[in-house]
Amino acid sequence: MKRLRGVDTFVRLLRSSIRRRLCTPFADTRVRATRLLLIAIVLSPALAHAYAGPGAGFAVLSSFWAIFVAFLYSFYALMTWPFRQLFRFLRRRNAYGKATFERAVILGFDGMDPELADRFMKEGRLPNLAKLRDKGTFSKLRTTFPAISPVAWSTFMTGVNPGKHNIYDFLACDRNSYLPYLSSAEIKGPKRHIKIGKYSIPFGKTEIKAMRKGTPFWHWLGNAGIFSSVIRVPVTFPPEKFQGVLLSGMCVPDLKGSQGTFCLCTTRASDDKFREGGVRVPIERKNGVCRSYVPGPDNPVKRNAGDVRMEFELKPEVESKQARFTVGSEKFTLKIGEYSEWITAEFKAGMGFTAHGICRFYLKEISPEVEVYVTPVNIDPGHPDLPISHPVTYSIYLAKLFGPYATLGLAEDTWALNEHVLDDDAFLAQAYGNHEDRERMLFDALDKTKQGLCTCVFDTTDRIQHMFWRYLDEDHPAARDVPHSEHPQVIQDLYQRMDRLIGRVMEKIDDDTLLMVISDHGFKSFARCMNLNAWLHQNGYLALKDDKTESGDWFEDVDWSRTRAYTMGLNGLYLNIKGREKQGIVDPSEVEALKAELQKGLNGLVDPASGTVGITGVFIADNVYRGPYTENSPDLIVGYGAGYRASWDSVMGKVTGQIFEDNMKAWSGDHCIDPRLVPGVLFSSHKFIEEKPAIVDVAPTILKLFGLALPAHFDGKAWTLAAKAR
Amino acid sequence: MVVLFGYTSDQKAIGIAKDQLKAHLLAVRLYRDQIPVVMGSYGKILRGTGRYLKLAFKPLLYVIVPITLLMVQIDRYLGQTPIPVNAPFLLTVHVGGQMTGNDTLNNVALELPPEIAMTAPAVHVPSENQIVWRLAGSKDGKYEVKITGAGKSVEKAVCLGSGLPRISTVRLRGQFWERMFSSAEPALPENSPIESISVNYPDRDIDVAGYGMNWIWLFFILSMVAGFIFKEVLGIQI
Repeated sequence: MKRLRGVDTFVRLLRSSIRRRLCTPFADTRVRATRLLLIAIVLSPALAHAYAGPGAGFAVLSSFWAIFVAFLYSFYALMTWPFRQLFRFLRRRNAYGKATFERAVILGFDGMDPELADRFMKEGRLPNLAKLRDKGTFSKLRTTFPAISPVAWSTFMTGVNPGKHNIYDFLACDRNSYLPYLSSAEIKGPKRHIKIGKYSIPFGKTEIKAMRKGTPFWHWLGNAGIFSSVIRVPVTFPPEKFQGVLLSGMCVPDLKGSQGTFCLCTTRASDDKFREGGVRVPIERKNGVCRSYVPGPDNPVKRNAGDVRMEFELKPEVESKQARFTVGSEKFTLKIGEYSEWITAEFKAGMGFTAHGICRFYLKEISPEVEVYVTPVNIDPGHPDLPISHPVTYSIYLAKLFGPYATLGLAEDTWALNEHVLDDDAFLAQAYGNHEDRERMLFDALDKTKQGLCTCVFDTTDRIQHMFWRYLDEDHPAARDVPHSEHPQVIQDLYQRMDRLIGRVMEKIDDDTLLMVISDHGFKSFARCMNLNAWLHQNGYLALKDDKTESGDWFEDVDWSRTRAYTMGLNGLYLNIKGREKQGIVDPSEVEALKAELQKGLNGLVDPASGTVGITGVFIADNVYRGPYTENSPDLIVGYGAGYRASWDSVMGKVTGQIFEDNMKAWSGDHCIDPRLVPGVLFSSHKFIEEKPAIVDVAPTILKLFGLALPAHFDGKAWTLAAKAR
Repeated sequence: MVVLFGYTSDQKAIGIAKDQLKAHLLAVRLYRDQIPVVMGSYGKILRGTGRYLKLAFKPLLYVIVPITLLMVQIDRYLGQTPIPVNAPFLLTVHVGGQMTGNDTLNNVALELPPEIAMTAPAVHVPSENQIVWRLAGSKDGKYEVKITGAGKSVEKAVCLGSGLPRISTVRLRGQFWERMFSSAEPALPENSPIESISVNYPDRDIDVAGYGMNWIWLFFILSMVAGFIFKEVLGIQI
C-alpha cells in the first residue's frame, strides 16, 4: 500500500485534486454560484451570522491560537534572545572559535562492508561513495571485540573500549541465575502498588536504568555550546539529557517490553510456537466476519490477568482479494500482500490505564484460510509511554511532522522472515518503509542543524544483509531450495540506495561541513552454525543432569555443580567461577589456566564436514578490555571464522548433540565472528591521515575537529586531517 | 454539526495540517537558540494556518446552511424578551410605494386590542416615511394590532408579559432574505402600502453566574464544549 506521508506528498495530491476540479466544464459556473451564495449569506445582517457552528469556531480559534502561541513565544524568544546569547557567549566563549568545520555530519550505515563497497565502487555502481573515496578518505574501520552493533556503537559514541562502557553483547549474563538480561537498559515498573481486591494499582514512576556507561561525545560538544542532532544511534535508550535533540535507536523495546514480538493472527489451528520473536493468535470466523486480537503489554492493574488485548475484525472479500479491517475507530482496506499504514493501538487495562502503541497490519491470505501479520506494537512516538527521545517532545515533533514511525530498536522484523511468516518482498517493503522515514528525519535534522553535529544511523544495511546474504553466496544452505533469480540483486540494490542517499546529503552540504560515512562492522556469510555449549559438553567442560545428552533453553538441564564453562549470547564464553557465579566450581586460582586451556582447545577448531577452520581466534577478556566494568564481561571472546557463527540454540543457552550444523534460516549473513575479519568502513569528505583507523577514534576525532580538549579516559586517538583538507 | 463537519471535510488532510502546525510550534521550542530555524518555523506556522483554514472552509460551507437556519430559529426565542406589562414600547410602521409625504402618513390608522393602549400621540417622520406609536400593554398574552392604510389592513403580533414565546420583531413586505433572518411572521401583502411593522422588544440577557450575556455567547461556549466532547467521542478531526 502506498504510504501517503509527508507534507510534500499531501500538498501535491491536494494541488492536483484542485487542478482537476477547476478543469471540469462547469467549474466556473459552480464557483461563481458558490461565491454568490456565500456573499449573500455573509452580507445578511443578522446576529446569528456572528458564529457558524463549532466547526468554524474550532477552525478559527485553533488557527488564531496557533498563531497567538507562536507569536507569543516568538516575542519572548526574540526579546530574550540577546540575553540568552550573551549568557551562552560568556559561559561557552567562542564554541566554534577553534573548530575546523562548522558542522560534522556522520552517517552510520550499520554493517556496511568495506569489501562489498569496494567491489561495487569498482563496478561503477556507487558514484557518490566513489567521489568521497577520491576526494577524501575510504578505509576499513577497525571494529570492537566482539563485532556486535550495541558494542561497536557504544564505543563509537563514548570513545572507549567496552571495559569502560559496559556493553559486551545484546545480552548480559546474570551470574546468580545463569539467565540473560538485556545489556543496555533495565526497565522496572513502579515499586509501590495499592491493592484493591483483584486490582493492584501501580503508584509511582517506571524506572528505566541505562546500563551503558561512559559519556557520548555529543555531551562534550553540548557542554561547549555545540548543538547536536542525534538520530537512531544504537544504545541511546533511555535518552540522556544534553544540548541537542536525540531519537533513541536499537534497544528501544516494543510496548510489550520485548525487543520485538510480532503477531500472526490465523484461522489455521496450530500448537506450534515460534522459536522467538512472535506469537500465534487464533482468528474466529463467524458469518463472514473474522475477529481476532493483538496482544499488548501485561495488565498492570489486574493481577494475573495476562496481557491486555486490542481486538479487531476483518471482512474478507474473496473476489476482490481484499479485506476490510476495523481496528478501534479506524477502518481500512487491504489487498493481499499489502501493509496498512501505522495504526494507533490503544490497550486499555482498566482503572484509566491505557498503553499507547502503533502497529501495521499485513494481509497474508483470505481464502481458504485467513492470516494477518501484525508488526510488533511500537511505542507511539506521538504519545510515548516511555521516553524515546531527548527532549521528550522531539519524538512527538517528528511524529507530527512526518506521521507515525517505527520506534522499536530492531524495527525490521527479521524474526518474522526467519519464521516464514513474512516473505522476502514483505520484509523488504517493511524495511524500506522504515528506511524512508529515517531519511526524512535525517534531512530535517540537516535543515535544522546548520552548525554543530548531525548524526544518523541507518539499520537497513544491517538487516537486509543479515536476511539476504543467501542470494550473494550461491552455496549458502538457506539458498539451496530458493530460486536464485528471485532477489539476486537485493544487496547490490541496497548499497546503491545508500549511495543515492549520500548523493542527496552531499547536495545539502558545503565545504565547511565534514561528512563521514561509517559502519560499525562488515559482513560475512553465515552458512554454518556452531553450538559452543555442545563442544563444551563433549569436551568435559559442561555437564548435564542425569547423564542427559542435550539440554533445553537457558541451561535447563545443566548440572552446575560439575560445569566449568558455558556460553550464552553471541560471542561470550563464561567460566563458572567459585564466589562469582552462584553455583561456581572453578577455583579463582585455576581461572587463568582454564582460560588458556579453552583458548588452546577452541582456537583453530576445524569443522569436520568441510575441513574449514570454524574458530579463528579466542581472545582472553583481560587482554582486550580495560576499565571499571571488566568484571561484567565474558571471560573469553570467541572469534568465529568466515562462514561460521554461534548457533541459534547456543545463543539461547541450549546444549545440542551436534556441534556444527547448517544454517537454514533466512538470517544468512552475520558479523558476530572474529572482529579482525569484519572491519567496518570509513568514508569522509575530507582526507584523514591514518593508517588503521578504528571506530573508537571517531569520538576523539570529532572533539578535536571542534577544537575541544580530549578527555583523558578516551581510548581512541584523534585522526589528523591532511594539510590540503583543512 | 460535528458529524456533518466530519462527513464533509477531508479528515485526513485536516489531521495532517493540524499535526504540521503542532510540529512547527514544537520546532520553535526545540531549536529556540537557532534564530533562522525559529523564523523559518514561524513562516511555516503562518502557511500551515492558511492551509488549515482552507481545509475548514469546505465543510464550513455545508455546515453554515443548517446552523444558520437553526440559529435564526433559536434567536426567535432567545433573542428578545416579551414586553413587560405596563412598560412602554414603540410600534414603528414604515410606509412605502406610492403613499409618501405627511398627508399620506395621516391616513394610516392603528387599531389596538383592549389590552394594549396608546400612551402618546403618534409621531410622524415624513423624511423616513415612518409613523411611531408609543404603546403599553395591560395583560400578558399575544395580541394582534391592526394597521390600516389606503383602505387595506394588515396585522402585527405583539407579545406581552414574560416566558419564552416565539417573538417576531418585524413583519415585512417582500425582502426575502431579510424576512428569512429577521421575521417570524408571514410577509405583508404585496399590494399593501405598508413596507414594515416593527416592535422594539427588549434584548434578552441570559444570567450566567451573575453576568448577563446574549444567548449567542452562551451558545458559542456550549457548542465549543459539546464539540470538544463529541469530536473525541466520534473520532472526528476539527
